Amino acid sequence: MIDNETLRKIAQAACDSAISNGAEFADVSVGYGKSLNVDLESNAIKSCDSRTGGGISVRAIYKGGTGWSSADSLTLEDAAEAGKNAASLAKLAEPDPDFISLPKPAEVYPKVEGLADPRIGDLDIKDLIRYSLENIDGALAVCSDAIVQGGFGAHYGSGALVNSLGVSLVSNGSHISGHIMTIVKRGGDVGSFYDFDIARVLEDFDPTEVGAMATKEAMKFLGARKIETRRMPVVLGPLASGSVFDGIVGNADAEGVQRKRSFMMGKLGEKIASDVITITDNPLINRGMSSRAWDYEGYPSKPLMIMEKGILKSYLYGSYTAGKAGVENTGHGTRGGGAASSNVIPQLGQMTSEEIIRSTREGLYINMGGLNPNNTTGDVSSSVDFGYKIEDGELVYPVMNAMVGGHFLDMLKNIDVVSSDYREEPGMIMPTLRVQDVLVAGGK
Amino acid sequence: MQWILLSHPAPTEKEQPMKDLLQSICDKAKQRGASFADARVFESENTGITRQDGRADKLNSGSSRGLGIRVLKNAAWGFASVSDFDSDSAIAALDSAISMAEASATRSEEGCVAEMPGIQREVKAIVEIDPRTVSVERKMAALEGYEQAALKVIGEKLANSIVSYTDRADRETICNTQGTYVRKESIRTIMHCMFVTREGNLLQKARSRVGEPVGFELIEKTKPENFTVKAANLAVSLLSAAPPPAGKFPVIFHPSITGLLTHEAIGHNAEADHILSGGSIIEGKLGEKIASDLVTIIDDSTIPGKWGSFDYDSEGTPGSRRVIVEKGVLKGYMHSLQTAAKMGVAPNGSARAQSYASRPIIRMSNTFIERGASSFDDLVKGIDLGIYLRGGEYGYVFSERGQYTCHAGEAVMIRNGELAEQLRDVSVAGMTLETLNNIDMISDDFEMNMPGMCGKDGQWMYVDNGGPHIRVKELVVGGQA
Repeated sequence: MIDNETLRKIAQAACDSAISNGAEFADVSVGYGKSLNVDLESNAIKSCDSRTGGGISVRAIYKGGTGWSSADSLTLEDAAEAGKNAASLAKLAEPDPDFISLPKPAEVYPKVEGLADPRIGDLDIKDLIRYSLENIDGALAVCSDAIVQGGFGAHYGSGALVNSLGVSLVSNGSHISGHIMTIVKRGGDVGSFYDFDIARVLEDFDPTEVGAMATKEAMKFLGARKIETRRMPVVLGPLASGSVFDGIVGNADAEGVQRKRSFMMGKLGEKIASDVITITDNPLINRGMSSRAWDYEGYPSKPLMIMEKGILKSYLYGSYTAGKAGVENTGHGTRGGGAASSNVIPQLGQMTSEEIIRSTREGLYINMGGLNPNNTTGDVSSSVDFGYKIEDGELVYPVMNAMVGGHFLDMLKNIDVVSSDYREEPGMIMPTLRVQDVLVAGGK
Repeated sequence: MQWILLSHPAPTEKEQPMKDLLQSICDKAKQRGASFADARVFESENTGITRQDGRADKLNSGSSRGLGIRVLKNAAWGFASVSDFDSDSAIAALDSAISMAEASATRSEEGCVAEMPGIQREVKAIVEIDPRTVSVERKMAALEGYEQAALKVIGEKLANSIVSYTDRADRETICNTQGTYVRKESIRTIMHCMFVTREGNLLQKARSRVGEPVGFELIEKTKPENFTVKAANLAVSLLSAAPPPAGKFPVIFHPSITGLLTHEAIGHNAEADHILSGGSIIEGKLGEKIASDLVTIIDDSTIPGKWGSFDYDSEGTPGSRRVIVEKGVLKGYMHSLQTAAKMGVAPNGSARAQSYASRPIIRMSNTFIERGASSFDDLVKGIDLGIYLRGGEYGYVFSERGQYTCHAGEAVMIRNGELAEQLRDVSVAGMTLETLNNIDMISDDFEMNMPGMCGKDGQWMYVDNGGPHIRVKELVVGGQA
């Protein structure tokens, strides 16, 4: 491993070189890390992998025109060369008068605990193999002829972020994850499903049941049938509801709005969803998967209410878009364009997911998949990857080859309930929600 | 300037240390009990320009270099990679790969590789104008020309325009314990455009791309009419297009959607690793009829000038033309050294790795349905109420269940055997075996111009796909009307 102070020196060398070669602003990101992975196939280990490496990325700005240079080499000499290259490109780029400034260093950065667990960096491949075999065996205990594939991985890395205005930040990060996909076959009938567990610290990682859960769901997917085309309520489960929240937050990117390519343009302050939708983006959740003390440009992070009872309260800004709009930076900046959300947290409702399903006379339950709108038009035309028919308040059979269509903003207004219960992963709250009156296309 | 293919060259003074190092890694792997090992160095450099709303204000360049080592020991695989390596870190990576293989043996899927004669080859990129010799200013000027041509079409309806350029040179060196040493270079150039148009509160967008394994000559032979002007016209016309209907319809696929279907619905299913792992709906059907008689599906990495083409894969196996389906009968799969050994067939050069940090896995190259005998008009005439889908954009598949989705950038309603009103973008979904058997007419034209990247197991790889127009008796259309 390369220590944080060495990474900071490398980043500073590149930044200084960019400025001395004519850039007016520069920022540099340097990282180095190690990953271990176990890849599973056919109920066994396909390969064990170890990856070590890092890289540097320099962004130089001259009269608003931007040049980037990136490389894998982490020597001081190559860092200086990258800085020089970025500055040369910035001077060739056409000026952008809308660029104001990169972030200045903050007096105080928030503290977010649990983003780097050294024990994850110290894990041996045998630890990941143990998790893997436990889950294969767990899957086979549920169904002895299940076919299991998937993988377990652990990553630990260090990084430095430096800019020409004095931002100089170092951090470490870790994550551990496991995913299992189980396939069950009965003649020509195939059921499959996928489950996972993720964490930043070891205490939050509990992969014990991933294989068993994926297998139980895969078995439920046998006997899938086609359904007729008609309008009906659609209930999105924990692994699908995120598409709604991400569809709101992802399209509240100020850059898309400013460039006039987002269907969320002109919607600030408007009620565009039902009362039950309130969403906060919160980067400060300890141990959260998407938590961060500063954004990718080094601006201090803070929670942001994006939607309150259906009213769009804020777009997501970085230094460029905030400067262009003359508003405060919300701490969602990236170095490559676009905004980066963090932990997207919906407000929960009053009914349990079971009560939501029981109160649906006829509908479609989407277990995995989502509403994924076209980010310009807002049109939705999505496949139901894994779904169930709801009849008389029960999930009666799995569904194949169905699709949902409509406009995302119409669907948002038709969300009538968000559940009180949810699936939780660190920093992720995944409830169930119901959208009334959705056009479902079926193959029957 | 023409580069030529070289065979059996002596290593240059600069290359000899790399060859000695990689050979030494392979020799040490064998000494430490490996039955097979390969060491791959992957180097790349790229340049990109983005022109948005009349300004080329974003330029980028990058380079990457690293080493990946695979070891097969006691039928268990281990892999290790390191960025920006030297001889010490290379040997450390070998140690790591061996310890990974030893750990895999705890409960490994039985690993093996086909025995291949060692190949010694150097392949240079065949380009007329090496993009690394072309100034950034010249590239920027080209983009300006393409954008201006489009803006004349769009006029006041413009909301946002993006035109971008990327060139990339990759060099992959593969050395293995079977005596193979292949060093190959490829250069690819690609341009993308996207135009967003606006009328009142309505926004629409259209995209286009052109890309080939060539150099800057791509710009010289690409006319704006076939790139930005085409997308601009579509973006304007979509403002008056109707929302597509929902339900089951007979559909005709434009070649770009035929390509998506071929790639998603059958291509992934015919990757031999999916077959062997139980993750393919066509497992156990070799020699059986799985599609209509009209359908012949090929994956061919030897076609000159196609985005997915290559001479050797990342295991050093020559690329080839693979017949997947012939007149409806499943004939073969795409193979790696391992899957070929397991299935007792010859490897056919289908294993590629995105970079040094990735293991070679089975990938498609240029995948297509062969042309048929009917005219496009005949396909249309036979439909009372249906949809003609155009502008293939993306797709995905659950290969184990054979459920796929394809997205079209636009469509046209068919009424009473004639093309009628234009429709907005829409996705369609189907079941692989049903769709293949429901292809009831194939046109006599052909197009394969979908240079893109396919995602699999966390890796992205250059692929192309296409075919003729095809008619499918019925498919689910996910519209909103």
